[in-house]
Amino acid sequence: MSSSPKPKLLWLQSITCNGNTHSFLNHPDLFSILSHFEMIHHPVLEGSATMQDVLAGAVDCDVLILEGSFKEEGFLKAGVEVSSLIHTYANKAKYIITAGTCATFGGIFKQNDPENISGLCFDIEEKTSRYVRYAPKLISLPGCPMHPKWMSYVLLMLSHGKKIEIDNLHRPVELYGYTVHTGCTRNEYFEWKIDTENYGFKEGCLFYEQGCQGPYTRGSCNKILWNDTSSKTRVGTPCFGCTEPAFPRISLHKTKTNMGIPAKMPMGVPRRAYLTLTGVVKSFKIKRFSERLMEYDK
Amino acid sequence: MKKIQIRQLIEKIEGEAELDFVFNKGKIEDVKINFGFYRGIEEILKGKDARDALVITPRVCGICNHAHLLTAVRAIEDGYRKAGVPVELSSKASDIREFTLACELIQNHVKWLYFTILPQLELYVNQKSEENYAIKATYLSSVITKALAIFAGQWPHSSYAVPGGVTCDPTHLDVMQATSLLDESITFFEQVMTGISLDRYLAIDSVSNLDQIEGDFGRLLYLLGSNDMAEIGQSHDRFIVFGDSPLSKAGKSIVTNFAKVDVRYVKESIQKGTVAKAVTYKERLYEVGPLARGMVAKTPIVKSLHKRYKDSVLTRIFARVHEVAQLLDYSKTLLQNLQLDELSCSLVKGIQVDTFEGTGVVEAARGSLIHTTTVKEGLISNYEIITPTQWNLSHGTKEESGIAIEAMIDTSSIDEATFIFRAFDVCSVCTTQ
Repeated sequence: MSSSPKPKLLWLQSITCNGNTHSFLNHPDLFSILSHFEMIHHPVLEGSATMQDVLAGAVDCDVLILEGSFKEEGFLKAGVEVSSLIHTYANKAKYIITAGTCATFGGIFKQNDPENISGLCFDIEEKTSRYVRYAPKLISLPGCPMHPKWMSYVLLMLSHGKKIEIDNLHRPVELYGYTVHTGCTRNEYFEWKIDTENYGFKEGCLFYEQGCQGPYTRGSCNKILWNDTSSKTRVGTPCFGCTEPAFPRISLHKTKTNMGIPAKMPMGVPRRAYLTLTGVVKSFKIKRFSERLMEYDK
Repeated sequence: MKKIQIRQLIEKIEGEAELDFVFNKGKIEDVKINFGFYRGIEEILKGKDARDALVITPRVCGICNHAHLLTAVRAIEDGYRKAGVPVELSSKASDIREFTLACELIQNHVKWLYFTILPQLELYVNQKSEENYAIKATYLSSVITKALAIFAGQWPHSSYAVPGGVTCDPTHLDVMQATSLLDESITFFEQVMTGISLDRYLAIDSVSNLDQIEGDFGRLLYLLGSNDMAEIGQSHDRFIVFGDSPLSKAGKSIVTNFAKVDVRYVKESIQKGTVAKAVTYKERLYEVGPLARGMVAKTPIVKSLHKRYKDSVLTRIFARVHEVAQLLDYSKTLLQNLQLDELSCSLVKGIQVDTFEGTGVVEAARGSLIHTTTVKEGLISNYEIITPTQWNLSHGTKEESGIAIEAMIDTSSIDEATFIFRAFDVCSVCTTQ
């Protein structure tokens, strides 16, 4: 067994709702994951340093988890610019994990001050001035909030000294290589272009009218289930694209269409291919898909 | 004149707050509560589709997001009704909403008990145990939010409530799994939190029976009692509840007077030196939250504690933990009686009102949460959110100090005052939105 000291973990909050903090606290093996690290400070869990120590810029940090949108000037904690704190610890850290869409791309809170609020290294999809400095150690975990198991994947890979493959926005490919559509229980209805009758049914796809963004949103929500249990689309809620750089878009409960066809195509699918396929499947009427999945009292 | 002002950063609450304590002759004479940053959720909502509020408003708060969702959907439904479109929820939809909301409240209260109150009390009275309270907090909160997610898809930040009902279409399999998770939570309550059965716990109705409570809650009560903390932290002794819930009907309670309330008399005002807005009801300050619900509902054990200790830290803390038992019991009934053959969403697809104004009220963990949405031609022209902590943590009026401030006045140390402050289950993100 190696006796080398555990990496020091610092969880820092910027402009946030604390949603990523609470999402991670739901992890079923939280404490075994954290046992690979020395917790320096966390908004809720016990750490070796106080917030005052953190504010003084005085503590060590190997892995920095940043939660919340970034603002260079005007967001203070106890008189200290949070941006300067982030820079202090981002420089010290060997790895920076941006937890959630706010820290990664700017997220919801960006919309109140789009000029000045962004993610740490990305402003929606554009690289910020900070990108060059932090890119070599940056791992993005977008999601509003991020899934607890996406975070544990990164932490465990780091603590085991493994290399995490990432894409151009620094998202781990093993987590974001999928779309939210992958594993959705409504996939058959998607294939056969069958809309759901209304909210509140197991049957039917939410892509055609209800605004579901699953087919073009990166994330493994339907593979690694939420709370080990379910997902938005499994309970009939459309995917709102919360892992995507431009989250939140407008009119989230409506599918934008052109001549009855969704304006935005499933990821990577050419419009012509989609239309061809639609033409074919719409020419058949499959009885099973117009029936309830299960009937009671028969 | 020996006045000293000390500024202290309070962490390990939901977010952080800075308190300025003014000491006069060794006692706290006044406190200013300062919260960080205005994130502008109300501004962000302007110009968006009315139903976008169902996605945006949960992001006010990572710990009570579900309450925001349900308040937002009630605001839209209220607006539809006022515009002449009937919205009748099936009992299934309304029971599922009640259940998931109860799960979120339990999660809140338990995290506050184990992450905040117990460890901070042990620190304050210098009787630190070797307990890993955090593992207890996360165990129960993840079990109960798993039950929530069976219906709502995920926690935090579900958007499964829509005008007319809910998006889920649960099966008996789902209900059985949720029941089992709820039973697990009840077992935790019985064996870890209180050391007695839920039924026996719920039968406790007076201070003289409190010694039946063991477990972690028993330890909490013991530490409060044995350190002369039963009577500290008294405030104005005025309570208000705006939302009807299984815990309490809406109403207000001053001494023994109960009266009905109307949201129209709630007034929000800007405060100097903080981004948090203050709220009053007919120009007066009221406490909201579990203690208020217990007082308005005249819950026997809460009334019994109040009779002896007034609105002290002990009564306030007890009322919050007590709701865990009430909610577990209530949730059990909800699941048992769920009518799965009813419609989940009774509003026909395509029905939408373009111009309306509506108000939604929900009893969230920390008290009454109020959303008012004004929609013109399908788009939000104005959105107002009043959160529970705005009631409890306001600076006060010209005539009197705010609820939490009054509770801290006359204490003689920052540690004592801070503990009283934390007993309100402070949430900075909700307060400043």
